[in-house]
Amino acid sequence: MIYVVRRALATLFFLIVFGPVLLASNADTEQNSAPIDVMGKVTDHDYFELIFGAKVYLPRMFYSGGEWYFFRDTYSALDSGEFVRGEEGGIVRADTGESIAFDLSITSHLIYLWLSLILTVFITFMAGRKYKKGIGRDSEPKGALLNIFETLFVFIRDQIAKEFMPKDKYEKFVPFLFTIFMCIAFMNLFGLLPWAAAATANLTVTATLAIITFLVTQLNGTKDHWKHVFVFPGVPKWALIILTPVEILGLFTKPFALAIRLFANMLSGKIMIVCILGLIFVFTELFGAAIGVTSGVFWVLLTVALYFLKALVALIQAYVFTLLSSVFIGMAIEEHNHDHEDSSVANAKDVALQNH
Amino acid sequence: MSFIAAGFGAGIIALAAAFGIGMIGKSSVESIARQPEAAGDIRGAMLLTAVFIEGVALIGAIVCIILALGIGQ
Repeated sequence: MIYVVRRALATLFFLIVFGPVLLASNADTEQNSAPIDVMGKVTDHDYFELIFGAKVYLPRMFYSGGEWYFFRDTYSALDSGEFVRGEEGGIVRADTGESIAFDLSITSHLIYLWLSLILTVFITFMAGRKYKKGIGRDSEPKGALLNIFETLFVFIRDQIAKEFMPKDKYEKFVPFLFTIFMCIAFMNLFGLLPWAAAATANLTVTATLAIITFLVTQLNGTKDHWKHVFVFPGVPKWALIILTPVEILGLFTKPFALAIRLFANMLSGKIMIVCILGLIFVFTELFGAAIGVTSGVFWVLLTVALYFLKALVALIQAYVFTLLSSVFIGMAIEEHNHDHEDSSVANAKDVALQNH
Repeated sequence: MSFIAAGFGAGIIALAAAFGIGMIGKSSVESIARQPEAAGDIRGAMLLTAVFIEGVALIGAIVCIILALGIGQ
């Protein structure tokens, strides 16, 4: 039984991974002169690519010139005669030539964002239902899903939330951190599929996530947090002229760096893989087909190694985003008692006494 | 010209980030060797610092990508 399942899974894996490659030859030959569209692999599209190179065009809805437009896909928008293709591949108004002011279209990245949200909700609700039945509370967790869920949840709670937040307040933020971790992890892992794209390779997505973290941080900030921002305690008055603007700037650079970090990491991963595979074509063009194909063995091996690295980076970046969110929130919700130097000295003395 | 700038920029970023992360790795490994029972805490602090360096390096890398792709020209 297990062999049948395993063989079926292996066949499915093979089809999923190599299907697009095998069918690439009779796929549409676009006007592109380059053999591989490097940026096209990571940027957002108005279609959702399925396994065998099939494309599902997604609905468009946008606001332009004081009116809302709804179309089934980009082509029906073009067929309506009101819009034409712009220079950069987007669509612009036919009469005035201006681009769309406010685009709410469903895009491929949005689909992957939704998919990861649905997966997160699904896993959480499944685990929650099992816990309500008593599995995992009265007995040990049963099944792969519950085990994975519990490992991740306990990891987030103990290693991330408890570590960087005050002991009495961290519980409130564990659900938020868990959600953000699972979502980013799923979005990053979707980027590993050859035909799919990581939604986190889009600055809009990461910026939205960072803004959510920013809001959670600032809305839960204590009086001490705001005092540290505007009137830093314990420094001379003239130093505040420099310190306060820097602190206010610091509020905004933190989520900015958070967004850029995730975005750049996910963008660079896929670009690197596509570029290294593209070296096969470069070598073929420069030295002929024989050397190009032979060197392909090396590039493919390198790509396999990079894929493992990317799988690792996908999880590490989700961890890092969650970790930094936790650190920022922890810094904001901390209540300082300004004699902590004395207490730490006392603690050190206690420890020293116990050791001797 | 922007290609040269992007190439040099990426090189300098790689050098600086490698130096920074190398320093972190060196001192954390030394600390763990000196005090193996604190390995967990040290690893957390190491990762946090490495992440900050990575963030700065990536912002530089993004500037290089923008230069190389000629966005905004």
